[in-house]
Formats: sequence, structure tokens, C-alpha cells
Amino acid sequence: MARSSSKDAQDLFRALWSAYAATPTNLKIIDLYVMFAVFTALIQVVYIALVGSFPFNSFLSGVLSCVGTAVLAVCLRIQVNKENKEFKDLAPERAFADFVLCNLVLHLVIMNFLG
Amino acid sequence: MAQQDLKPSINSFSFPKTLKLKTKQQELLIRVATLALIYVLAFITRLFSVLRYESMIHEFDPYFNYRTTLFLTRNGFAEFWNWFDSESWYPLGRIIGGTLYPGLMLTAAAIHSLLRFLRLFVHIREVCVLTAPFFASNTTLVAYFFAKEVWDSGAGIVAAALIAICPGYISRSVAGSYDNEGVAIFALLLTFYLFVKAVNTGSLAWALGSAFGYFYMVSAWGGYVFIINLVPLYVLVLLVTGRYSLRLYVAYNCMYVLGMLLAMQIRFVGFQHVQSGEHMAAMGVFFLLQVFFFLDWVRHLLSDTKLFQSFLKITVTSAVTVGAVALGVGMASGYISPWTGRFYSLLDPTYAKDHIPIIASVSEHQPTAWSSFMFDFHILLFLFPAGLYFCFKRLSDATIFLVMYGLTSMYFAGVMVRLILVATPAMCLISAIAVSATIKNLTRVVRAKSPAVQSGSTKGTSTAKSSSKGVIDNSQPFQRNGAIVLLLGAFYLLSRYAIHCTWVTSEAYSSPSIVLAARGAHGQRVIFDDYREAYYWLRQNTPQDAKVMSWWDYGYQITAMGNRTVIVDNNTWNNTHIATVGRAMSSYEDEAYEIMRSLDVDYVLVVFGGVTGYSSDDINKFLWMVRIGGGVFPVIKEPDYLVNGEYRVDKGAAPKMLNCLMYKLSYYRFGELTTEYGKPPGYDRARGVEIGNKDIKLEYLEEAFTTQNWIVRIYKVKPPKNRW
Amino acid sequence: MSKLIFIFLFLAFIPLLCTSFTPERPSDRRVLVLLDDFAVKSSHSLFFNSLKSRGFDLHFHLADDPKIALQRYGQYLYDALILFSPTVERFGGSVDAAAILDFVDSGHDLIVAADTNASDLIREIATECGVDFDEDPAAMVVDHSGYAASATEGDHTLIASDDFIKSDVILGSKKIEAPILFQGIGHSLNPTNRLVLKALSASPSAFSANPKSKLTSPPSLTGSSISLVSVIQARNNARILVSGSLSMFSNRFFRSGVQKAGSPTKHEKSGNEQFFTELSKWVFHERGHLKALQLQHHKVGESSEPSIYRINDDLEFSVEIFEWSGTSWEPYVADDVQVQFYMMSPYVLKTLSTNGKGRYFTSFKVPDVYGVFQFKVEYEKLGYTSLSLSKQIPVRPFRHNEYERFIPAAYPYYGAAFSMMAGFFVFTAVHLYNK
Repeated sequence: MARSSSKDAQDLFRALWSAYAATPTNLKIIDLYVMFAVFTALIQVVYIALVGSFPFNSFLSGVLSCVGTAVLAVCLRIQVNKENKEFKDLAPERAFADFVLCNLVLHLVIMNFLG
Repeated sequence: MAQQDLKPSINSFSFPKTLKLKTKQQELLIRVATLALIYVLAFITRLFSVLRYESMIHEFDPYFNYRTTLFLTRNGFAEFWNWFDSESWYPLGRIIGGTLYPGLMLTAAAIHSLLRFLRLFVHIREVCVLTAPFFASNTTLVAYFFAKEVWDSGAGIVAAALIAICPGYISRSVAGSYDNEGVAIFALLLTFYLFVKAVNTGSLAWALGSAFGYFYMVSAWGGYVFIINLVPLYVLVLLVTGRYSLRLYVAYNCMYVLGMLLAMQIRFVGFQHVQSGEHMAAMGVFFLLQVFFFLDWVRHLLSDTKLFQSFLKITVTSAVTVGAVALGVGMASGYISPWTGRFYSLLDPTYAKDHIPIIASVSEHQPTAWSSFMFDFHILLFLFPAGLYFCFKRLSDATIFLVMYGLTSMYFAGVMVRLILVATPAMCLISAIAVSATIKNLTRVVRAKSPAVQSGSTKGTSTAKSSSKGVIDNSQPFQRNGAIVLLLGAFYLLSRYAIHCTWVTSEAYSSPSIVLAARGAHGQRVIFDDYREAYYWLRQNTPQDAKVMSWWDYGYQITAMGNRTVIVDNNTWNNTHIATVGRAMSSYEDEAYEIMRSLDVDYVLVVFGGVTGYSSDDINKFLWMVRIGGGVFPVIKEPDYLVNGEYRVDKGAAPKMLNCLMYKLSYYRFGELTTEYGKPPGYDRARGVEIGNKDIKLEYLEEAFTTQNWIVRIYKVKPPKNRW
Repeated sequence: MSKLIFIFLFLAFIPLLCTSFTPERPSDRRVLVLLDDFAVKSSHSLFFNSLKSRGFDLHFHLADDPKIALQRYGQYLYDALILFSPTVERFGGSVDAAAILDFVDSGHDLIVAADTNASDLIREIATECGVDFDEDPAAMVVDHSGYAASATEGDHTLIASDDFIKSDVILGSKKIEAPILFQGIGHSLNPTNRLVLKALSASPSAFSANPKSKLTSPPSLTGSSISLVSVIQARNNARILVSGSLSMFSNRFFRSGVQKAGSPTKHEKSGNEQFFTELSKWVFHERGHLKALQLQHHKVGESSEPSIYRINDDLEFSVEIFEWSGTSWEPYVADDVQVQFYMMSPYVLKTLSTNGKGRYFTSFKVPDVYGVFQFKVEYEKLGYTSLSLSKQIPVRPFRHNEYERFIPAAYPYYGAAFSMMAGFFVFTAVHLYNK
């Protein structure tokens, strides 16, 4: 059972990987960026579990900046992905401009909240 | 801006080429003119109170808002943000900056400085008085755009017109009603509109706008909890009904993350978004959406369904486990606070009555009576179901949102009187859809035969014109006549609505409640200005640092108008302190004296309506003082003040009632007074009885001031006896 | 209308309350003496002369003189009142019991001497001061063991008592050697009154009864609960002396020798003169009068007084206390003066240290609680005027920019936030370039 399930999992990841390899480069870059953000967030969660939640606002701003970045990047990814028919009308330039705007707001608020 | 927004709706109708430009321009002109008129109407209909009385701040809470705004304009933002007020909640004090929603004050101060910048030197009080009407006008615009987004521009105009004069909204936004709700409804509707827009377009920019709307709402009113629960609920409903889309994902995630982050900048709200139980639904839905999205993406990548099934099983199991563990740990460790009493009392209307007398004691927290629904909504009450029907008929993401907003807010409006306010925009929007759709259909029928017939109504115009193309096979003989009759009926109803609204506004909702008006024996208006008389007396005749004890209702007014320190006020954050005051009021004089000495009380203020027949006085509120006092100090027992479960003040009253401090202070020297011809002296007109204890002697207090109509009575606490 | 009058009256009283004590010279100067009979003026001249020699300005009037008045145009004409008129039923002029009590309540001193057959008026005044005379008008204090051995054998109503109040402030530092002669009515103290004190008590064997009639029922007042001379210091520091005997003050008692029954020592002179001289010094504020000045507080390292403190501020508190010596203000030295930092209950209670020149000081840290606090100095010591000072001061929490910044524990979070920002720029560049 265990062997078969591990084999299943292997199959699964292999299939996933092969499917993913076909993604356009710009989306891959975004995915990398998202992974970076999520990873940073996870590090902080581990850190707070070890150290304790004293400067809670700093923790929140740190984690939320990562989460925000990740979420916004995913949104951008959705919008620039040509396979998503829902966003045909939305020009990638417009999507990117929105993304930059949201990021600016995000980081400004984070700066206010960090101290 | 308007031009841009009109485009899609106009384009969808195919006009003959020659007529196109002209009709479009006419239509636009009429629409803009109508909106402008509605904008002005919404403002001026709220000026009744200024005309009837004067340009003054109303009621209780607005006085606090006014006082803080004054502070803000005088001392600047940084001082305001860090303001520690030592004049209220003596001796505890109150951190004003950290315990209020600053949106309203900042708005008024911004308007004030803008006016000063334009060299219009108005007093901040005038700005405060007119803030609510101004925002009501803005709300009509938002309502227009919202209904246009959900339905069409015709419905938008109707919605704007309905909300401009809807009594449910006017009750909280007349000139002088300088309260959080005044701007909060604007913010609420704006947030919803922008969110729906974001869901419809899937654009980050609209979602960002919605986050800012939410931020403004959070800064203005505690009712933002409604948004942060309604929006996730909506997302959940869409997920369950299979209407999930990537647009929704974009809109919700961006709005939630940025909105939450912005909301945390408000000190009063702080970390609640991640710590309090009320906000957990939004967070849960946020994570759920991530999982959902991830699964969707994986399914998209994987062509093999069997592999996906196994993957699904693993992911879902692990996600559910992680979520449950996180929630359980959070709850158990006290990191996530449980729901607050107010929230419980919303879900279970009987909760407050049993557990939190301080919430139940406020009249606007009572469950709503049917009559007040009728009073506040009038015809909207039966247009609402019709509108729901139309929404269901043309189901879209936006109409689902509107329906959910309508239904939930109607429920809350039924639970608490003050939440009628939240339901009002939904009622107006949904009713507007009903009105607009009905009239559109009817005019289409009417115009099908003779396009020359003009309805003449501004509300019908846009829809009537646009339906010139409508082809309806006239199979029934009297359809046209019937349609005309129905149209006339609709106009009759709408005009009744307008008349009702104007009447309600002028008669019921324009009273400042700090100045009372009554009809004299000959029909003339009698003004009782006793409150201000008393507060000015306090301001002029008492030492600067005198402490005034009164029931908490009057705390804000005393600090704002009397400029004196109070023991408790309308910000009911410390139950024990209020209970102490309640205990003092319901004790015998000597026990009360000890309590008052320990609180350094110099003056006691009571409100008494026995002479004028003013019924919301302290004697009628007294049982709440007993309950709240008894909730903390079991010495005070409610049955001691009742006779066979009956509350009375006449000869048959309970002995403790007849000798408690509140009774003595209210009725001191009242036994000598003849209030009404043909009645014995000491006849209490508010309760219609002759009082039971006419011979009241005060030992530890002395009467300092009683206003002209005895509505406010102020007593001085004597210093301890000199020789004992 | 009556309300208005009431308010005016009340307002008229405020300056009186403030000016009744001349803060610079608390000793009384002008004294009104009301007598039953001008004979008392000469029969008690020793007492009066001792007052005069100390600079008092005595005005003698008959108690029923219609011209007497305590105040004119809202100003009191006298600083103190001596009632040597035990039998008067009604005062002349506008003076009545309430007027006399108002006189006291506005900070003036009073000496009342009653006697057997004291009138209801005098009894009423005494009762209002917490002293209840024996209800039997003919009653006298009788002591069959503590009487003064004297000429008239068998009359045990002339008592020699030496049971003084133990306070140097009230009775002076010089010990009174000789017993006090007393002949008159006894009184008891009202137990609910916390301010009245027995200055001279009867011995345990004393009782109060009519000596001329036979004792039929147990006497109502017995033993050392009988007070012969009582003093009261009211809350506004007005001082009252109530004596059950007028003759105690007389020249005869002042001069006569005394020998307590059963005691071998015979004193040449009774203690009465010393007793009443010292006691009148106390009553007329020549002794035991404190004043506090310059209640100051400021943050450590600063000198000006702030209008508000922040939690956890360190502050210094000081107050100056002086004692009136009868002619000048001298520094008061004691080690038991305390200050409270009070909000509903004392959060800080500290004993002040003194520099011996009247200045008391301490320093402490403001507690970690915000609210409206008071500096309270409540000093009540037997014989001294009570000091009750309070000064209100709000304590505020930290301002938003006073919290600690750049906490080391938070560096990872700062790093994360900034790396996200950097990541954003890199990503923007890459994304644009890639397109």
C-alpha cells in the first residue's frame, strides 16, 4: 500500500512536472517570485513559533508583506496568462500597471506598520 | 467619467444611425440633470432640523464626535491620535485616539481645512452639522453606480432617488446628526460597489479601490464587521453554487489582504483582523480560496483525472486538518478571542437580554417592531420581494451579491433597530430594480402601439426611450390599458412614498433630542431647552475640575457642552464603572454618599420628566441602572424595587424604591408642585401617577440647580460634616 | 426665586470659607466673650488677663445684649468666641445656636463653659459638637474617692482630676503636676463623632448625679467615660473647647491649693491655670497649627511642573510643612509624613524624608496605569491641624511614537519586508525585460 501510494505520488509529481514544463517563461518567473514570497513567509512563521510574538505588528507586517506579494503576483499571473479567457479584454500592460499600483500601496502600508 | 461609464449600456442598444447622437445626448443630459437634482434633494431634505430648530449637534454620541473634531482641528492630527482624555471616565480616563473610529472626525476636519483653504471661514460646528447630509448626497451617487453595475442605469436613477429620501437612512443623517453612521453608509455602499465592480471585471485596480473603501469604512464605523463577514459569505456561496471564477479570486484576495492591512492601521481595530473570532470567517475563506485555486490549477495541469482524484484527496485532507488544528489551537490558547457580546446578540436576539444588560438597555439595540419597518421603508417593504424576484430572474454574480446583502441586512434589521440603517441601501437598490424593471416592461407595452405616448416621468424616461425597439406581440386585448393603469398605480405609490418620506423627515427625524418641542394647549410650539440650560449652568457655575455624576447617557453632552469631568459616558467600555454609578443611584442616600465620595463626585445630575411629561427620563431608565448595578454588585436586587413585578413610583411602590437616591433626586420638592390642573400636587405627568414620597429630605446632597421645566436637576454633594 | 437666594447665599459663603483663616497668622486676635453677668469678668480675670497678655483683643458683652452680632456685611467681626454664659436661654441680637455653629463651620474657634443648670441653648451647641451633657439639669459629677480634700467636708462634687489627654501639642510640653479642680456637670462624648476628644476625664470612681437628692436609679454617666473637659478639632480645623464647669476658669480655682483625697502631696496651686493657659493656646491656634506650601512635583531632571505624566515616568515630589509657633512659622520636623499617588486606591504610598527646614521630598516611578491620579498628603496627627492636600494630575499612556523601535527580535521581519520590496523591484525589471 505504502509503496503503491509512494509510486502514485511519484507518478503524480512527474506528471505535474512535465505539464508544468510547458508553461511560458514569464509565468515561470512569476511562479518563482511567488515561491520566494511564500518561502519567506514560512520562515517567519517558524521564527515566531520559536521566539514568541512580542513585536506582533512587525511580525504581521513581515508576513503580510510576503502574503500580499504572493497574492498579488498570483493575480498578475492569472491576468497575463493567455489561457484564461476571462481576461481577454484586459491588456497585460494594464494588468501590470494595476499590479504595480497595488504593490506600491502594499509596501507603503507595510512601512507604516513595521515600526 | 460619466461619459465613459455610459458607453457600454448605450452601445448595447442599436439605435437608428441618424438618431443616435441626438438621443444619446438627450438621454445623458436628462440623466445627469436628474442625478444632480437628486443630489441636491438628498441634501436639502435633511435640512429640516436646521430650519425647525437651529444649526446644532443632535443627540448624544454626536457631541463626543463634535468635541473630538474640535480637538482635532485645534491641536492637529498627532495630538488627536495620542489624545488621552482625563475629562471622561474619571478617574480612569480614556485613550480617545485608541478607542474611536477616527474616520468621521478626519473627514469633517478635512472638509473644514479645505473650506479654509478656499477662504471660506466657517466654524467647524457648521461643517459637522452638514457632514451627514453631504455624505448622504454622495451616497445617492454611489447608489446610482451600484445599481447601474448590478442592473442598468434606469435602476440606478431610481435607486438614487429612493435612497435620497428613504427615512431609514434619513433618521441617521439629518443635519446635525454628526455620527459615524452618516459617513459609514457611504463607505459601506462604496466598498460593496467597488467590490462588485472588481468581481465583474477581475481588475486589481477596482479591488484596490474596494480595499480603500473598506479602509474608510473601518475608520468610520464598527459596522465594518458586516462587510468582513458578508463578503466571505458571498464568496463561499459562489464557490458552493459553482460560480467560482478567477475574477472572484483576484477581487477577493486583493481586497482582503490589502483591506486587512489598511484596517490594521486604525488603532481601535488593531490586530482584531487576525485575533478576533468575528474576523476569522474572512481569513478562513481566504485560505479556502487559495486551496481551491491551487487545486483548480493542478487539475488544469493534469490531464489524468485519476491522478488528480488521489491528489485531491491528499490535499483536501491535509488542508482541512491544518485548518482545524490552527483554529483549535488558536481558540484554546486564547489567541483568537471568542465572539463579543454584541456579535452574539446579533445572532441570537435574546442573548443580550439575558447576559448583557448594558447592551439591552439601549433603546436602539432592541428588536425592531413591524411599525418601525413600515415607518422607515414604507413601499420599499413590498417592493423588496419584487426586486428579489427580478434579481433571481436575471442571476449574475452582482445580483447574487445584492440579494445576499439584502437578505442578511434585513435579518439584522429585524434584530436591532439601529441596523435598519444598514438594510436601507439594500432595500433601496433592490426596490429600485423592481420599480425600474416593472416600469420598463409597462412602458414597453404602452409604447408598443403608440410610441408617441410619453410617460413624462424622469424615472421612466431613460428606460422608455431605450425600449423603442422592444417588440411585444400584443395578444391580450386590454394589455395596454392595463399597463397604463398599472403605471399610474406605480406613480401613485411612488408619490405616496415621497410624501411619506417628507412627512417622516419633518416630523419624526429632525428633532435634535437635546431641545424638546411639544404642542402647547393652543397648538403653538413649546420649546424645552432645559438640557442646554443645565449644561451652560454647569459650565458657568461650577469649578473647572468639578466631577459630575450622571447616568451614562448624558456623559458626552456634559463633557462637550458643560466642559466638566464625568464619571461615565456613552462609550460604555467599562461595565464595572457604570455599575458603580448604577449602584450609587439605586442605593440609599448614605450608602450612595460613600460611593460618591470615593469617586470624588461634586455634582449629581438627573433628568426628570415629571413636570413636562417627558418620558425618557432617569426614572424610566432606572430599572436598567438597577440591573446593570446588580450585575456587578449583587447587593442591588431588582425585586427590591418592584412590587409584584410591577414598577411603580406612587404610594404602592416598594420602600427601597421610594428612598433610593434616584427617586429622591428626581422628586425632591416635587411634592409641593402642582403640575396639572385638577390633579393633586406631586402628580407625575410622565407616568401619570401621584408620587408616593412627597416629603423628601436630603441629607448629603443639596439642590444646586433645576432648569425651567425641571427636566434637568443638578445637586451638589455636600462636603463631609464639619464637626463629626 | 428661593433657589436664586440659595445660590447667592452659597456664593457669598465661598469667600468667607477662604478668608476665615488668615493664612499668615493663624492665631486668633479678636475674641468675643459672652457673659451671663459682668461679675464674671472680674471673678475670672486671671484667665482673661492671660489671654490679654498674649495679645488677644477681648470684647466683653452680656449674652443677652441685643447689640451683639457675630458678623456684619457678611464679614465675621471676631476670630473666636468664648461662651461663659451657661444659663443664657436666648442670645441677644441675631446670634443663636445656628449662627454660632456657622461661626465654627467657617473656621472660627469656640470655648464653651457649661455648668449645672446649663441652659438648653448651651446644651444644644454642645450636642452639635458631639458633646452630650447629663440630661438631668441638677446633676453634678461626684467622686467619692477622687475629690479634692478641702474645707467643706462631705461635699465630693469638687473633684481633683489628673487624667489628662496625652498630647504635648494640646497641653504643652511642660507636665502639669497639680491636679485640676473641677466642679460642675459631666458630659459624655457622642460615639459616632470621631473628632471629639477628652482633654480631662473623670476618674473611674466618678459618676454623675444630683448630689442633693438620693440616688434612686443607677446614674446614667459613670466612671472614666465621663469627660470633664473636651476638645474638638473640626474638619476645617476650627477648634472647640467644651467644659462642664465655668468655675474651673475662675480666679478662685486658679489660685486655690489642691490636695487629692488619699494623696499625701498637697500642691500649693491647682493645675487649672496651667491647664487652661496651655489649652487656650491650643484652641486659639497658638500651637499645633501646620501649614503646607509648595506642593511640587516634576520629572526627574526637570524643574517645571508638567500638566500630565506618562506611565513609568520617574518623578520627584516635594512639599513644605511649617508649624506656627505663635509668633512665626517654624519648620515642622517629623518622620511620618506620607504621600499617596492615588486613583481610587493608593498606587504608591511613600514616607517623605525631610531636610529639617520644612521641606519634605521623595521620588518614585509613576505606576504602569493610566488615569487621573492625585498626589495626596493626608496628615492627621493628634493635636495638630490636619493637612489634607491633593493635587490632581493625569497620567497618560505612551504616545504612538514612544514605543520601542528597532527591536532586535523583529529584525527578521524587517528583513522579510525589505527583501519583498527588493524582490518587487527585481521582479518588475525581469518581468518587463522578459516581455
